[in-house]
Amino acid sequence: MFQLALKNILFYRGRSITTAVLTFVSTMLFIIFVSIQDGSHKSMLENSLKIYTGAIEIYHKEYRDTGGNEYLIEDVKTITDKLSEIEDIEAFAGRYETYGLLSSREHSAASMISGIDPAKERVLSSLKEARREGEFLSENSGNCLYMGAELVKKLHLKMGDEVAFVGSASDNSFAADILKLCGVFKTGLFEFDGSTSFINRSYFDSLMSAQNRASYITIKLKNMDDAQRVNSEILKLLNDDALESLTWKTLMKTLVEAMEVDSIFGYISLSLFFVVIFFVIMIYGFVNVSSRIREFGVLRCIGLSGANIFRLLFYEIFVLSSLAVVLATPIAGFLCYYFQLHPIVIEGMAEMYRDYGVVSDAIPLNFDIFTILWNLGVIYILNFLSIVYPYFYINSFKPIEASRHV
Amino acid sequence: MIKLQHVNKYFYRGEPREVHALRDISLIIEDGEFTLFSGASGCGKTTLLNAIGALDTINSGEIYLDNKEISSLNEEARTQLRLNELGFVFQAYNLVPVLNVEENIGFIMRLRGLSEKEIKERVLEVASMLEIDNKLGSLPNALSGGQQQRVAVARAVAAKPKIILADEPTANLDSKNAKALMDMMRELNEREGVSILFASHDAYILESVRRVIKMNDGAIVDG
Ligand SMILES: Nc1ncnc2c1ncn2[C@@H]1O[C@H](COP(=O)(O)OP(=O)(O)OP(=O)(O)O)[C@@H](O)[C@H]1O
Ligand SMILES: [Mg+2]
Repeated sequence: MFQLALKNILFYRGRSITTAVLTFVSTMLFIIFVSIQDGSHKSMLENSLKIYTGAIEIYHKEYRDTGGNEYLIEDVKTITDKLSEIEDIEAFAGRYETYGLLSSREHSAASMISGIDPAKERVLSSLKEARREGEFLSENSGNCLYMGAELVKKLHLKMGDEVAFVGSASDNSFAADILKLCGVFKTGLFEFDGSTSFINRSYFDSLMSAQNRASYITIKLKNMDDAQRVNSEILKLLNDDALESLTWKTLMKTLVEAMEVDSIFGYISLSLFFVVIFFVIMIYGFVNVSSRIREFGVLRCIGLSGANIFRLLFYEIFVLSSLAVVLATPIAGFLCYYFQLHPIVIEGMAEMYRDYGVVSDAIPLNFDIFTILWNLGVIYILNFLSIVYPYFYINSFKPIEASRHV
Repeated sequence: MIKLQHVNKYFYRGEPREVHALRDISLIIEDGEFTLFSGASGCGKTTLLNAIGALDTINSGEIYLDNKEISSLNEEARTQLRLNELGFVFQAYNLVPVLNVEENIGFIMRLRGLSEKEIKERVLEVASMLEIDNKLGSLPNALSGGQQQRVAVARAVAAKPKIILADEPTANLDSKNAKALMDMMRELNEREGVSILFASHDAYILESVRRVIKMNDGAIVDG
């Protein structure tokens, strides 16, 4: 039966080539599409971790859900003293974040204003590297603001312009000041660039009466992979029920979830394309089978069972798909692997597609054997499904009718 | 031995018009017979052959093949029966186009799972009886009609069925080929003892057969 299948494949060449080529193309596309999708998600995560989020962050338990001045970390110094005892920690710092209104001469916008320690942030985050204009904050930069490029645009600010700040201090009293634009950064994270400003903590703390307080403490590890272990060590050291210490996996949860949703939409649009391809494969299979109704009818008259016919069709599609898959997988796999190491760079792409969360001009691909394997599984399953209808079509004829079919 | 008892078959062509294609047919065909069903077009020859060959169902009566009732078997059992006990030769040659002569002849034996050695020997044996042993490597569409029909006969006979059913096997052949085919089938019938049942109006068949069963309007009138 297997030999008969092989001979049919060679004999009905048009159908074989179409099926194999289409399968080849879809396998390539599928693997590369998924690879790009996973790759860009991965790089979004990595970027956002590198830029601002810590490997581990310590919060008051209510802060992330409720926010507000009631749930600040009150005694930062005691905690940071404890943190200095842990070997695997490279750096840490408290950040004081609040929301306020920033106004230029004619425009205003809400902004998250984060009081940071400039010296420590040079190690903790890549805010300094994201600088586009002016200067990053320094230890004595006073009322200087270091502002996201998108926010600068919203406020129509130039370097050195004055900005009025109105907000609520950490003791809920009224806080207002005139600040000055000293530097502009751009991370590529659109939301972040459009709503965030940084200011030197020592200046901000006195304005907001936030000395020795923090919204959270961010921690950088010598090795990211130790996050889980170090985190439990920290929890033990803190020994405080009011505080929580979270690894980047939890911190990034919303981002990770957003990516999952994004993936699902990606698969849906891809599946539309696949529906078309597999319709074509099925139609070719169907036309082929229709032209062989009589042949199948005769075979069934002389004693070929339905199971035999199914096996015959199955072998045919199996050989064709395997042929395509065996050719496509190494090529697609190699491309994924190569472009994972050397991402494709398209100048200006991040600018054009920033609304879609594209962070950089590089298209990173993700090479992962398991991902490729399940991709192949899907391709096989779709191909196998394409023989179901032709099979039932053959069986809808009685053998004797089919043997006379013209 | 084949035994038919009170077999009736109707075709429904949209109520209330029905065709009574087989009328109360009772018949015994012994092993090794070389028999022709003859009669005017539409008298029910093909219908009867299909019923005996387990290709079609009947509405009432019984058909026994070696004392086994076969008309009530389900589709799967009938497929098995056709594979293991029966051989078919059709009007059109109906070979598998992608298989060469040797593979076509051996096809049923392969389905039955015989060993390659057995198959090879048997293919050679029947091929030389039917004088196609010099064509074993050819594909069907490289053969003449007469040769293709001989391959079809070889395929039917190679697996040593009890009965071969041949509906108008010579209808597509010229007189020379038709006669040659009949001579060879006659020889197979004698040498191998296989029963062969024909349905035909062809004079060459009438000349060769030993027994003629005449039919008219779905009933047996003589034989
Ligand atoms: N599938 C069918 N549906 C309806 N009627 C049918 C069908 N097959 C055969 N018949 C009718 O049954 C009767 C017997 O047909 P059958 O084919 O057995 O005749 P036949 O003797 O083989 O004729 P011929 O010599 O032309 O081959 C005819 O009246 C035919 O019209
Ligand atoms: Mg007929």
